Amino acid sequence: MTFMVSPLIATDHERNTPDTIIVGAGAAGLLLAARLAEAGERVVVIEAGPERTLDQLWSSQIWARRLKWSGAPVEESGDHKVGHAFNAGMGTGGSALHHYGVWLRLHPGDFQIASDHQRGLDWPFAYDELRPYYDRVQTEVGLSGDANAEVWRPPGAPYPMGPLPVFAQGKVLAKGFKAQGKRVAPLPLAINSSSYHGRAPCQFDGWCDAGCPIGALANPLVTWLPRAQKAGVELRHNTRALRVERDPNKPERIEALVVSGPDGRQRLHAKRFIIAAFTVQSTRILLNSIGDKPAPGNRHDQLGRYLTTHPATTVFGLFDEPTLPHLGVSAGQLISHDDYDDKSAAGGWGSSQWLIAHAIKPNDLLGYATGRPDIHGPELKPWLERAAQHLGNMTVVCEDIPLASNRITLGSSVDNDGVPIAATHHDLHPDARSRWQQRTTEGQALMRAAGATDVWQGPMAPMHIMGGTVMGADETSSVTDPWGRVHDTENLYISGPSLFPSSGAVNPTFTLSALAWRQADHLIT
Amino acid sequence: MARPSVSKVTTTTTARDGQLTRRDTLRMGALCASFCIAGDWLTTSPAQAKALGFTPQVLSSQQLAQLAALADALVPGAAEAGVDAYIDAQLNAGADSMLLAKYVGVAPPDQAGFYGAIADAVAHAVANGTAIKDLPAAMLTDSVPHWQGPPASYALFVLRADALDVTWGTDTGYAALGIPYHAHIMPPSSW
Ligand SMILES: Cc1cc2nc3c(=O)[nH]c(=O)nc-3n(C[C@H](O)[C@H](O)[C@H](O)COP(=O)(O)OP(=O)(O)OC[C@H]3O[C@@H](n4cnc5c(N)ncnc54)[C@H](O)[C@@H]3O)c2cc1C
Ligand code: SF4
Repeated sequence: MTFMVSPLIATDHERNTPDTIIVGAGAAGLLLAARLAEAGERVVVIEAGPERTLDQLWSSQIWARRLKWSGAPVEESGDHKVGHAFNAGMGTGGSALHHYGVWLRLHPGDFQIASDHQRGLDWPFAYDELRPYYDRVQTEVGLSGDANAEVWRPPGAPYPMGPLPVFAQGKVLAKGFKAQGKRVAPLPLAINSSSYHGRAPCQFDGWCDAGCPIGALANPLVTWLPRAQKAGVELRHNTRALRVERDPNKPERIEALVVSGPDGRQRLHAKRFIIAAFTVQSTRILLNSIGDKPAPGNRHDQLGRYLTTHPATTVFGLFDEPTLPHLGVSAGQLISHDDYDDKSAAGGWGSSQWLIAHAIKPNDLLGYATGRPDIHGPELKPWLERAAQHLGNMTVVCEDIPLASNRITLGSSVDNDGVPIAATHHDLHPDARSRWQQRTTEGQALMRAAGATDVWQGPMAPMHIMGGTVMGADETSSVTDPWGRVHDTENLYISGPSLFPSSGAVNPTFTLSALAWRQADHLIT
Repeated sequence: MARPSVSKVTTTTTARDGQLTRRDTLRMGALCASFCIAGDWLTTSPAQAKALGFTPQVLSSQQLAQLAALADALVPGAAEAGVDAYIDAQLNAGADSMLLAKYVGVAPPDQAGFYGAIADAVAHAVANGTAIKDLPAAMLTDSVPHWQGPPASYALFVLRADALDVTWGTDTGYAALGIPYHAHIMPPSSW
């Protein structure tokens, strides 16, 4: 497929060609930009969204919605759609600008589900390969937690900061876990429990979803952006990467990135290109790069496959005792991985975790009142008043089973640039659905065991988006090599959770950051 | 009706070192959205905008009245808080709409049609004998006689979420519930 491109402005090859152009100023893109520029490279970052600064992070669930993706729509289908509009952000910092800071390591068993369970795909390396990068990144970013209390934690260096405090809600819910013979530990977070690298400690006000302007939460604006800027990275906002183009004389080399922005449409040259535009858009850029050869990474029809998203559900309860659910951080206060490692336990398939005692607001999609449409009219206000002081909530995150048929493709329409939009199809494997069912039922019992008098749960929600450009040693079942280099190219790399061959059941940002750090080491040496 | 006094686009002076004080920002929290009133764009609270008879930009006055009536049946206080002004202002913002609908499958370009269809369905149901006060229970179970619009339970979820936003999701709403707002930075307006 080809597109009309008009008019293309060539750049000055000799003098101005950057070493690396990175697409996406989010968690992966800004980490790589900082690392490569600090190593002496000339780096340009292309970002589709606007420039965002800390002073724009206004504490409001309504205003927080500005931080979400507002680019080309995504067509979604399947019985468990990926929820791109909620899960993706846009502008400096990407989705990570207002992520909640749950930073967890994948467990060793997550790296070999095909070998151990004949499900999905193995990662092209084991946990031990990633371990030193987890350790390094947690020191750079600053994590709070109690490694000893996390009895299920994979091996690794202890956290650089102690855990955040547990407030009334966490203490109340912990009683339910104890009563059911399950262990909890302080939730490990990329949120400061004390000052770290000049960044302030958390104030426990629960505004993380609107972005943390004091820098207690390690969003890219306070971690990688200052380093990238200091090292001379050039950041171009409001500029959309449309596709990459191969060198006609050497098709395994990518010659240019076509972008559309304030200066019109341009072809940008660089020695190397890294696409870090988050799962769906990264894949879309590759799919739209088809020419007289297959799209990069798609010689074996693998591009877009193994799309995964965690099925997750929040369970709520009302208690007689006060819980003060506004206190704390959006991520939660406690974690339980007691059932994580037994993926093939009866009742379904896959790992799962509990994130316990989120600081919560009444409104917005995740707010406690929004999920109770049955309460309306005169009974609403008394209910809200009670919930504001006595609510408990916790979220189960389950593993998705990677399926080749769950896929990102191109949609039926084009965006304002005339470029085909993305389409996603995602069905949840029945065994993953059974596990989710089992855990949510268990969650209601845990709530009751903690003393809740009224218990309910929200719908199954898609949490995080992974896969689509998965890593692998074998080109017939993957898109990139174990370093994220697209198989049939020399100088095109992918970074971000789209590289994950499988999802595990933990939040992805620690892992994608460890992967990006590892990629940077590989590219620098 | 006495006309509340409002100023044309207000500017807030900075207190010291060019920084807004916490008190400044808290005061701003309840004010400062722009509405077209009698041909002028005024910065005022949604409640005042409503009292002054703001000029709808996207939906008709009748459609907004239907939405406000239903929203108020769902979340008492929503009409007074200006839910109709909120919805119309967000629809007018196009791609920058902050309506929660965009999370649940109604992208900004489709939102005006979506809300218009809900309003028309409410009007039709009421014209055919269902009282506004009886709509919530019937919508919840998708059993509204003569409902002709987006699935009723879905429409209820979205409109109720908007009503919660304007009524309880602001600093004044939190205060009424006894929840400390504890903003890091107050938004320049409630929404
Ligand atoms: C509400 C919320 C809470 C979350 N909480 C957690 C959590 O607690 N823990 C956790 O691990 N994860 C969490 N996540 C997920 C986390 O934010 C993402 O996994 C992570 O940000 C992905 O990093 P990324 O670099 O791949 O993409 P992003 O951080 O999204 O960055 C991608 C960037 O690419 C840009 N882009 C896209 N297309 C183009 C294009 N064509 N041209 C130029 N630029 C483009 C985007 O605008 C964006 O800025 C949360 C997400 C959300 C939405
Ligand atoms: S609760 Fe803590 S991490 Fe969240 S926004 Fe406030 S200070 Fe930042």
